[in-house]
Amino acid sequence: MDIPEGWDLTGKKAVISADRRGWTGFFAAALTEAGADIAIIGSESSDMEDAKSKASGNGRKVLTKTTDLMSKESVDQSIQNIVDDFGTIDILVNNAKADFGKRFEHVSESEFDTLIDFNLKSMFLACQSVGHTMLKNKKGHIVNMTSNLAVRGLWNSVIPCASEGAIHQLTSSLALEWGRDGIRVNGIGAGWLTTQNKSGATEPDLLDRYLPSKRKGHPNDLTQMLVYLSSDSCDFVNGQTIFIDGGALAHA
Amino acid sequence: MLEKLMLKDKTVVITGGGTGLGKEMCLAMARAGANLVIAARRLEPIEEVSTLVRDLGRKSLAISTDATNTSDVKSLFDTALAELGKVDVLFNNAGIVREDSAKPIWEISDESWRIGIDVNLSTAFYCSREISKHMADNGGGKIVNVSSGFGFRGGRDNYMYAAGKGGIVNLTRAMATSLGKYGITTNCIVPGFIPTEVTDPDSERAQQRGRFIPIGRVGQPSEMGPLAVYLASNASDYMNGEFFAIDGGGLAGGIAPTLHAPEIPLEI
Repeated sequence: MDIPEGWDLTGKKAVISADRRGWTGFFAAALTEAGADIAIIGSESSDMEDAKSKASGNGRKVLTKTTDLMSKESVDQSIQNIVDDFGTIDILVNNAKADFGKRFEHVSESEFDTLIDFNLKSMFLACQSVGHTMLKNKKGHIVNMTSNLAVRGLWNSVIPCASEGAIHQLTSSLALEWGRDGIRVNGIGAGWLTTQNKSGATEPDLLDRYLPSKRKGHPNDLTQMLVYLSSDSCDFVNGQTIFIDGGALAHA
Repeated sequence: MLEKLMLKDKTVVITGGGTGLGKEMCLAMARAGANLVIAARRLEPIEEVSTLVRDLGRKSLAISTDATNTSDVKSLFDTALAELGKVDVLFNNAGIVREDSAKPIWEISDESWRIGIDVNLSTAFYCSREISKHMADNGGGKIVNVSSGFGFRGGRDNYMYAAGKGGIVNLTRAMATSLGKYGITTNCIVPGFIPTEVTDPDSERAQQRGRFIPIGRVGQPSEMGPLAVYLASNASDYMNGEFFAIDGGGLAGGIAPTLHAPEIPLEI
């Protein structure tokens, strides 16, 4: 496969977190296609195994480590195991996120805690854990996946929006703090994604008609940006969240 | 504390003051005590508003002005200063959405583009340029620009309006940054969809829009009044370079089906 100059991740070691949304495999496959060895961390119920099968076949190492992303002990243990195995970590992709929709007045305290822990605390834990290695290396790339909900409100989504907004700011401020240590922290804001095959669809739904792109996105719409932000080519890009959303944010 | 909101003895110049949002802002400011110089191209509507303002016991002038014409702009402020002695507040409210300009970009003529940018953007520059020196010499003043949700977001086939109103957004920042040291503050109102006689509130389009606005309805012109009073008054003296959206939540969410999101159980 041909890769433009500077996009090559050959020899790089990457970690990506998995969730239940089924997108992890597309991102993981892009990383191995670009030449990276990867380790996938996530729970038994995540799309980790699907991701492993999608990412295999590019001639790179693909590990999975069952991890409770909300537990410091578990994350630290997995990251240590990966460092032992790979020798180092160059790239961290914080992908894991939970879907959740409920009217605000009905959200329970435990739902709030779980969502914030899974979406936000997991990023804190992974960044900190991998950060030790990156700070030692004076080099590293962190890519935090977020969404349009970081900057726009949505019904039934107060807590997801709050978590995505927090991730957006985690990206900006961690980039500032670790910028002089050679670490780049950036984000990708996804729009409305679906992995549904379009061929079965008849009429475009209301959302498809609204979006300037006239279609929802697919995780593969983000993969090139993910590779770029994981590569040394993006050395002067720091603290940015790049939105790839078919024009949704530009639209009134 | 709330007496700071009163506009007694303040002179306000407003462009596009004869109809719609401009008219409502004039009347609210007049009720709060302001004298008003009302400018627009057509004399009849601004004379009507001017009469209503005088009925409230304030001084008022209606001056037919093409704000895209700089000699018209000069004579507007010359007259305002000659008749009322000073100008404390400028509202750059002129702007148009020309329905006939909603067309594919390749069908827009040079003339349409220039008129659109002139009316929606240049008018604010011309008026601000004309009066800001007077305000600076006078120890300060307040300039209030009127942009639109389309100044921050795109809309389909509304190039001149979106570009002009987007220009207003950053003109506000540039003026706020530059004129602050002269005691002149510049702020910007960002109205959402507020139908007026220009855009019929009962039209199917207006009703349709209301369903997509977070609070479930379009705005009413009278809702602009209190905001105009606040921004014209000394109550807003420490506000500079800011944007005040009055849009029923449009910019927070989006005038879009994104309003309606499904319920999804939390599974991790």
